[in-house]
Amino acid sequence: MSIRHSLLALLSEGPKYGFQLRQEFETSTGDVWPLNVGQVYTTLQRLERDGLAQSDDVEEDERQKNYRITEKGGEELSRWLRTPPDLSEPPRDELVIKVLVASRLPNVDVFDVIQVHRRYLVQLMQQWTRMKEDESHFDLAFALAVDAELFRLDSVVRWLDSADGRLRRVSLESVESTMDSTFALPSNRRRTGARR
Amino acid sequence: MTDVLDRIDRRPPDGGMPARRAVTRWAWRLLRREWRQQLLILLLITIAIAVTTVGVGVSTNTPLSTYVGFGTAHDLGTFQNNSATTTQKIDSWRALYGRLDVIDNEAVTVPGSVNTFDLRSQNPNGPYGKPLLTLVAGHFPKSASQVAVTSGVASLFNLHVGSVWHATGVARTVVGVVENPLNLLDEFALVLPGQVANPTNVTVLFDATRLAKGTSNVITPADVSKGNLLNPQTISIVLVTMTMLLIALVSIAGFTVLAQRRLRSIGMLGALGATDKDIRLVVRANGVFVGLIGALVGFVIGFVAWLAYRPTLESSAHHVVGALQLPWIVIVVAMALAVAATYFASTRPARAMTRISLVAALAGRPAAPKQLRRSAVPGIIFGVAAFFLLGVAGARGGNGGSGSLAIVLGFVTLTVAVVLLAPFLLTVLNRFSRSAPLAIRMAMRDLARYRARSGAALGAISVGVLIAMVVIIASAARFGNVLDYAGPNMASTQMIIYTSNGPYGPGGPGNAGAGNGAPAKSIATMALDAHSIAHDLGSHSVVTLENTSATLQHAAPGRSFSGPVFVATPQLLKAFGIKQSSIGPTTDVLTMRPGFAAITQMQLVYGNYFSGSKGGPITGPTAWPCPKIDCLANPSIQQMPSLPAGTSTPNTIVTEYAVHHLGLQPITAGWLIQTPVPLSAAQLSGARATAAADGMSIETKSTIPTSATIIDWATLAGILLALGILAMSIGLIRSETAGDLRILSATGASSRTRRSLTAATAGALALIGAVVGTLAAYLAMIGFSRTSALDGLHSLTSVPVANLLMILVAMPIVATVVAWIAAWRDPKGISGQVV
Amino acid sequence: MSILELQRVSKVYGEGDTEVDALTDIDLSVNRGSLVAIMGPSGSGKSTLLTIAGSLEEPTSGDVIIDGARVRGMSRNDKARLRRRTVGYVFQDFNLLAGLTAVENVSLPLELDGIPMKKARSKGMAALEGLGLADRAESYPDQLSGGERQRVAIARAVVGERSLLLADEPSGALDSVNGESVMRMILTACHGGVAAVVVTHDAKLASWADRVVFLRDGQAVDETLPPPSPEELLNPDVPKPSLS
Repeated sequence: MSIRHSLLALLSEGPKYGFQLRQEFETSTGDVWPLNVGQVYTTLQRLERDGLAQSDDVEEDERQKNYRITEKGGEELSRWLRTPPDLSEPPRDELVIKVLVASRLPNVDVFDVIQVHRRYLVQLMQQWTRMKEDESHFDLAFALAVDAELFRLDSVVRWLDSADGRLRRVSLESVESTMDSTFALPSNRRRTGARR
Repeated sequence: MTDVLDRIDRRPPDGGMPARRAVTRWAWRLLRREWRQQLLILLLITIAIAVTTVGVGVSTNTPLSTYVGFGTAHDLGTFQNNSATTTQKIDSWRALYGRLDVIDNEAVTVPGSVNTFDLRSQNPNGPYGKPLLTLVAGHFPKSASQVAVTSGVASLFNLHVGSVWHATGVARTVVGVVENPLNLLDEFALVLPGQVANPTNVTVLFDATRLAKGTSNVITPADVSKGNLLNPQTISIVLVTMTMLLIALVSIAGFTVLAQRRLRSIGMLGALGATDKDIRLVVRANGVFVGLIGALVGFVIGFVAWLAYRPTLESSAHHVVGALQLPWIVIVVAMALAVAATYFASTRPARAMTRISLVAALAGRPAAPKQLRRSAVPGIIFGVAAFFLLGVAGARGGNGGSGSLAIVLGFVTLTVAVVLLAPFLLTVLNRFSRSAPLAIRMAMRDLARYRARSGAALGAISVGVLIAMVVIIASAARFGNVLDYAGPNMASTQMIIYTSNGPYGPGGPGNAGAGNGAPAKSIATMALDAHSIAHDLGSHSVVTLENTSATLQHAAPGRSFSGPVFVATPQLLKAFGIKQSSIGPTTDVLTMRPGFAAITQMQLVYGNYFSGSKGGPITGPTAWPCPKIDCLANPSIQQMPSLPAGTSTPNTIVTEYAVHHLGLQPITAGWLIQTPVPLSAAQLSGARATAAADGMSIETKSTIPTSATIIDWATLAGILLALGILAMSIGLIRSETAGDLRILSATGASSRTRRSLTAATAGALALIGAVVGTLAAYLAMIGFSRTSALDGLHSLTSVPVANLLMILVAMPIVATVVAWIAAWRDPKGISGQVV
Repeated sequence: MSILELQRVSKVYGEGDTEVDALTDIDLSVNRGSLVAIMGPSGSGKSTLLTIAGSLEEPTSGDVIIDGARVRGMSRNDKARLRRRTVGYVFQDFNLLAGLTAVENVSLPLELDGIPMKKARSKGMAALEGLGLADRAESYPDQLSGGERQRVAIARAVVGERSLLLADEPSGALDSVNGESVMRMILTACHGGVAAVVVTHDAKLASWADRVVFLRDGQAVDETLPPPSPEELLNPDVPKPSLS
């Protein structure tokens, strides 16, 4: 999340005071990402240093300083909006690592591990959904942000589902091959769960 | 709360009327949406009812109604005189039964003619005879000196209201013009009761409540209609029954498709809480709606056609035909049968729907094909029973009631046999196709697997062919007889002008007896006029037709000879390119009728053979051995194919050799005129007027359908019907095996395979249907061949080969080709239906 | 109060060599006003669970009690009556009967239950109005969008004081915004006192439920913890979800 560019975006609407910027940032992201004060002022100073924004320099107190966007700042904002985030490098996801490890350990039921995470994720999604449920103070920005989070969590759940299915198939095949070689039993006489 | 519970509990446990109404409403909406899928059934019913309406209307009104003399009475007694015994008997009836109507008739000969009219006394307001008498002009006679006459009598004696008429020696004033609306050919003069001095026929109309059986001179309408096996009623009942069976079969197949397509909707209805009864009602209501719509539309079309045809019918049937004078019971029964047929046809799919589990229905999974019995035994038993029943019907040819029941039952049984045998045949076919190419093998396997439905379709196709073939065989057998020769009367470029000496007597063909009133001119004048008519028509070929008293007879039971026998004059022979040298020196008769020369027990009769005045009484008109008097047994008959084929043209002629050695007297009967181009209506009416002025009459090509026309139309109708049923059932089978087809395509089968599959299915169904239908028709007709209307087994061989080939070969080929062409489209499966 | 009770419900399809366990010893209780989601991969027995819960199928063993009535031993007609009075279904893609307008579809269960057409229609109209579909009442199913069809189906499932709503992937064929509004409507029905069971493989839909039961190979393997109460949500000590 780029606070730098979010602040630039807010300034592009017109000159704003420091405290005002923090407030607006929080509302515009639907209070999903709380921001600490220090972060805002450090960022504003950096923007000023890089010539992307300028302050009127009257007040010493950052909260009272009035900031406005420079021409260079406008160009930077526009460039940033159009630059796709770098998705080519896979993030080092903790969950993925946990499942990979669990699948290799002989004394750990990997499916159990998967289900624990799945349940946790669904519970998390339930909480987000519940926040969205109350329509009485509907907030578009908030809904968009919550959706983003729900989709992200959903994709993780789906990954768990697919990992589950893949691991299950592998384990079934290995069981069958052992059985074939040792007992030559009629396989899957009672295969479970035929119907959706 | 209790209030709410009370309200809930008062609701009927099965939903009651509101539920039924809702379900029926839905069925109606579905029908409105999907009527196209049921078009074939609708069309069949519509056509069947329309044809029934017009057909029974025409057939019951065309012949002079057999009950014509009865008026409104139930019994009719006749006496030959008005002797004391007669009066006594009539008085005793009056005492027994109360009201009765006495009608006296005295036959009076028209002077200078063989025609007669009746001098009649009848109460115009008689309780039973009223329908037999209506007033056209003037009033009924009120005194002994008054008389009312029919228009025929009036023109015969040049009478009009007010003129005085000296008939039967009494002078009477004509006060009115009357007619018998039930028989416009009935010519009579009406006088007051008691004025008929010497009645030759006394008719008594009454309703006998306790009449002793066997009173010889009393008959009832039932007696009259006896002895007429092929009467219109029997034929209509057989046809209506067969058609309704066919409709039921087609409907079973059709409604099964429909129920299949609606499987998910019906599952949904069940999930919503519809009872099994409601679910069955959806399918049944659809059936009843289809039946009702078809019946009503068919009736309306038929009735309009009837109204349009009525004037024509009146003029050709010679009696007044009321607009509403239809056999309503037959029509209503036919309509009810149509509704019943569709209702019962929908019952089977309706039951099937409630047998499928709701979960399967919701998923659109049809039930697994039901295993039907493979045995052919029931079908064969029914086939044998049908053969037996039709044999009984044929044997009882002259026995009326029980015969017609047997014939209806026979055909119904035959249809059942065909339907029962159809699934068995599919199994057999499947077994035979084991080594066939993949597509054909698959097609046959599917037909056999889904034979609960394909069997119904095959049954329907077979019955369609069966009906057509029965019509074809019957008309070929009826008309393909060399004795009772039938066919077109002549070509459209031919015309015959008859003198009053012609074979049809004065008045010419189709107008027996009455005469046209114009005074006959001399033969020379008539010949001159005939030639001038020919000249006006641009003709240079005028053949004089000569007549003798000779005609031919077949002295054996069965049908007798029909048609004119002219004389083989040199001019006639020359006109048809026959050389004198090609005729045997002792040949008596020349004929173009094939096979005629080979018939035994033929005799040539002439002179006073029929009058019996010379040489004592004759044992009968077809007496064999040939009586000595004016009869030549086994005349020498020679076939001469170059003679014309028309029934009125000289297709059979006596040679001059026979004329000489039998001492026949040829007289000019008419002139056969051959024109270069077909005659126009204007030319015909001009010629008719000229001929009428000389007391002559003309005959031209008749529009009555000939056997060939009937056979061709029956062939066409049978083929179209079979193809229609085929199209529908192929749609069904394809939609059921759509999944298989898709898998087939997915596994790399080309559209060629898919097409072969469909084409093989269609071709197989068409071929088996044609073969089964034809065989069943022959079976039926062999059983029935003993009836007097046909001439035994050999008459069944006269079906034209071309028509047989059309049904047995061309139809399956057409079915295969059309299916091949139509199968380019991807099958629309039931699973594709999502709303 | 429990509207739906499944007690050790098992379902076996086929017999002998082709025998398949679709469900094994399922216990489930759904209270009035609560929304339960059944989540599981394809073939886990979700749909079978739903059809058994709705009396469309009989379990091989175990008991189903709907609104206090035991389904086992009921006649087909009794089950039909139970369905039209108590149970409402919403399916994935095929819900409305072609040939009937939206309002006719909604009032059909009432009419099947013996309520005269006019009265049933006005109730159906009210149900449609309640879900904001009054202007589509006279449209036929093929004139409605996918989302509208599902919403009409929900109106039909809840019309006439019914207490159990069963939905099988109710937004399966819809985009997420339409899917969300469908779930929102089901939730609204629950707040009105209906017990609802939604079967889905989609975590986004399942997250609308008060409770999510995880089904695998016909067995209930896990379920979510009961949701935090409003007090807990307001308590700053309880960790709130956040992204930071």
